[in-house]
Amino acid sequence: MMRVTGHRLGWWGSLRFMGRAIGLLTILLASAVVAYSADPTLNDPRTMAFKPVEFSPPEPERVVLDNGMVLYLLEDHELPLVTITATMRTGSWLDPTDKIGLAGMTGAVMRTGGGGGLSAEQVDTELEQFAGDVSIGIGRQSGSASLDVLSKDVKRGLEIFAGLLRAPAFEPARVEMAKLQAIEGIRRRQDHPGSVVSREFAKMLYGPAHPSARESSVDSIKRITRDDLVTFHRNTVHPNGMLLGVTGDFKSDEMRGLLRNMFGDWKKGTVPELKIPDVSEAESPGLVVRFVGKDTSQTHLRVGHLSIKENDPDYVALAVANDILGGSSFRSRLFNDVRSKRGLAYSVGSRLNTGTHDQGVWLMRAETKLISTQEVIERFVANIERMRVEPVSDAELAEAKEAYVNSFVFSFSSPSAIVSRLIELEYDGLPKNFLQQLRDRVVQLTKEDVLAAAKKHLRPDQLKIVAVGSGEALPKALATFGDVKEIKLSPEG
Amino acid sequence: MKYRSRLRPWLRQDPVFIGGQFFVFCLTLALIFHLNIGFLFAASPSLAERVIEHKLANGLTILMVERHQTPVVSINITFAVGGINEQVGQTGLAHLYEHMAFKGTRLVGTTNYEKEKPILDELASVGTELDQRERDVAAKGGAATADERAAIESLQKRFLDLQAQASRYVVGNEMALLYQRHGGVGLNASTGKDVTRYMISLPSNRLPLWAAIESDRMANPVLREFYKERGVVMEERRLRNDDSPNGLLFETFTSTAFRAHSYGIPTIGWGSDILSLTPAATEAFFKAHYGPDQATIALVGDINPKETIALIEQTFGKIPAAPPPPPLVTVEPEQRGERRVEVEFDAEPAIVIGYHKPGLGHPDDDVFDVIDAVLSDGLTSRLHQTLVLEKRLAVSVGSDASHPGVRAPNLFIFTATPLAPHTAAEVEAAVYEEIERLKREPVASKELEKVLNNLDADLIRGLRSNGGLASQLALYQAVAGDWRYILTSRDKVAAVTAADVQRVATQYFTKSNRTVAVLVKKGTDKTVAAIPLNEVKP
Repeated sequence: MMRVTGHRLGWWGSLRFMGRAIGLLTILLASAVVAYSADPTLNDPRTMAFKPVEFSPPEPERVVLDNGMVLYLLEDHELPLVTITATMRTGSWLDPTDKIGLAGMTGAVMRTGGGGGLSAEQVDTELEQFAGDVSIGIGRQSGSASLDVLSKDVKRGLEIFAGLLRAPAFEPARVEMAKLQAIEGIRRRQDHPGSVVSREFAKMLYGPAHPSARESSVDSIKRITRDDLVTFHRNTVHPNGMLLGVTGDFKSDEMRGLLRNMFGDWKKGTVPELKIPDVSEAESPGLVVRFVGKDTSQTHLRVGHLSIKENDPDYVALAVANDILGGSSFRSRLFNDVRSKRGLAYSVGSRLNTGTHDQGVWLMRAETKLISTQEVIERFVANIERMRVEPVSDAELAEAKEAYVNSFVFSFSSPSAIVSRLIELEYDGLPKNFLQQLRDRVVQLTKEDVLAAAKKHLRPDQLKIVAVGSGEALPKALATFGDVKEIKLSPEG
Repeated sequence: MKYRSRLRPWLRQDPVFIGGQFFVFCLTLALIFHLNIGFLFAASPSLAERVIEHKLANGLTILMVERHQTPVVSINITFAVGGINEQVGQTGLAHLYEHMAFKGTRLVGTTNYEKEKPILDELASVGTELDQRERDVAAKGGAATADERAAIESLQKRFLDLQAQASRYVVGNEMALLYQRHGGVGLNASTGKDVTRYMISLPSNRLPLWAAIESDRMANPVLREFYKERGVVMEERRLRNDDSPNGLLFETFTSTAFRAHSYGIPTIGWGSDILSLTPAATEAFFKAHYGPDQATIALVGDINPKETIALIEQTFGKIPAAPPPPPLVTVEPEQRGERRVEVEFDAEPAIVIGYHKPGLGHPDDDVFDVIDAVLSDGLTSRLHQTLVLEKRLAVSVGSDASHPGVRAPNLFIFTATPLAPHTAAEVEAAVYEEIERLKREPVASKELEKVLNNLDADLIRGLRSNGGLASQLALYQAVAGDWRYILTSRDKVAAVTAADVQRVATQYFTKSNRTVAVLVKKGTDKTVAAIPLNEVKP
């Protein structure tokens, strides 16, 4: 957590489709695509069939305190542990333009700078002596914190945790340390080609000033003062913007009392609105080819464009199209074509990275040696074209559906997974049964739906091709795809 | 005990994974190798009774834990084979085999094995001859006679023709497809210095599918798409080692510290070795090291142990026992003088310092685990307090008591990322001050108590996930010969005294036993006096 200071959190984010797909709160996993009657003595795995798994996941209790704080509680007494998470409506979309990095640094120093009447040193010493774990961080679209303690220490752990969330001390020495670490992170961010290509690709899609792509600089970090952190916390972290998830070895009535004692007298505030501007297609320059020269053995590639939000009616069909194209690792077309058949890349695939608050991104990625750069991009383009003109096969669609339906059960792998999924949905303003809705729509999807979504939302004329690699030969390899321009990196720090 | 990742300055490059997903680098597994101790059950003795053990007549070991909260099961198959079993000239073989193990069997991954086999056989012989002729030409500086060139071209043509023929029978990634269709998640594998592991989680009623796939793969693998996969592994090498500043730093550091023992070889292999690996050598490696007595299968989740044993007996039980693998003979000679090495890279500086020490099972090994925790576990650890918070010399600093493996004598390492304008040399000096303090002053009882509290808590946390528990059980069975090592080592750590720490620090943390590797920015003046080294050449 300390080390994310000054960096944008999670460009690669979570794969929402699969992340949620394997998290459906369903009682009976649908049997539309699986046959019955397993005979384990038949030893050919290709012809085996099994009953769908039946499972009733436990239902968490939801409580709202008078000050608006929402609690989800789910007891689980297998191990003597308690985990409490807090999801907060704050994030770096609120960073002032001259102080990019403020939200991230506020989160970092909420954890490291003491609070609730304890010095930073007292907090760390006491927590670590009883093996308590606390983390706090603020990302692009949310803040998150967690407490993980043995159940015997839950009261003291919660006192410390609440102190850091409600009344962080922001000790000046720790603020100074966080600034130094953020600046060092900036100095080092061009060291890894993967980091360079991801960040340049995001800037190419959203524009360098957009909240989903903008980056801190040494100057923006230097401008941040301790007062800025105090103010950012005071203005954005409120009980009525917070969702608490509690799982583990506790009794619900006692825990509710304990949480009321810790948080009940915290006054409501004005919760910031989570609103991130769209990038209009009029602003998009169409097809773009860019490279960054760096002394590497491979070309690090990102190819894609902005995409839809998760509440778009085409979302499910596009997610399945992406799954078949490159989202499902071993099973996907890109993995088979570029990796297995051609041996051109270790890590290759596509991703549809969507949320409900900002525009999604759809992209393909690979790293390949310089001389196969052109071939890999050609395969990317050819595979998009195929998705756009030819329906997926019956087998591909059936496999995608089966994988989706049969892996649902893994969302119940733990009480904390069940609770965090519900909190995520509530944070995003989605209905509690959103996952069931998704599942039902996946099961009903046709090849025509997938083709229509691919045709509409995979756009060869809008591709942004960004490559990091060895300067001299790279532009030639890229030239067949468009007008190649160089992105010059300015030295950092 | 290093479950806590937050203070890890970087991930080590081993183990390497078959991957496929974007985030193939599984932190948990990398960390497991940091801990020599992983006592899961000490704080909750009843759990020790939950491990059910079964051994097949062919030597295969089964470990099971029932957990019925969710109808899923996580399975980890660990083979006691890895980079430690490789010879120079064929480095990367263990890892390449792990990749090939996803290519199917005589049943899975093919439309017709009988027709495919003769083509694969000829492809292997043509490919091997082609590799040899290309190496010969390269050895002469690339100059080839017209005859030599013609011979190579003809082989190339035949090679491509055979590859095209063979591809007609391939059902691409069918094994993975079967798992995914049946709801499998987390399909992956990893190769380290000590062990090679195959992981999957499934809805629990799919266990017969797993047994059919895995028993077939343990008995009848077919090395199809071999040369393509060799290319994939070369790309993996470029990604992890050649284009990664820390990857290259660790590769260079470790190969400098070990001059005889195979711990010095990067698990992924030297580039020239990878490009010379043959289907015949890969097949031979499988036959020598993948016998059922080399394997441990750990299953944790919603299972019925009796039925599971019956299922495994019916499937894996048919695999014949294998002769023991060739013995490991090479012992790293005592280091007699400090070794220093630099890696130039287009990146900001970093440093690794390592000292030779004994491996798992030696009494001093437990003392090093305590030292590791005192020095770098948490925000109140000594190195973080001193180097990061007080002196502000480093952004992060860490240690690891078992680099790069545990089965043989290994290294205690320190890693640090300097905070500009401070240099690697300043950080290095500050690390040595902390080492001297360990020798000079006894560790406070409060610090030892903290170490034990955290170990006990982390051990309970390790029980949370089916996959994590399966991984730990199989790992210790494979490297220590008995999963109960988890229990016994916890008590050994609890018995470590302040005097032990002082004695061990004084004995092992000496200049002559030390290797230092520094990442320096390309084009800047050298800051470290380098002693010339005869690095192992492939």
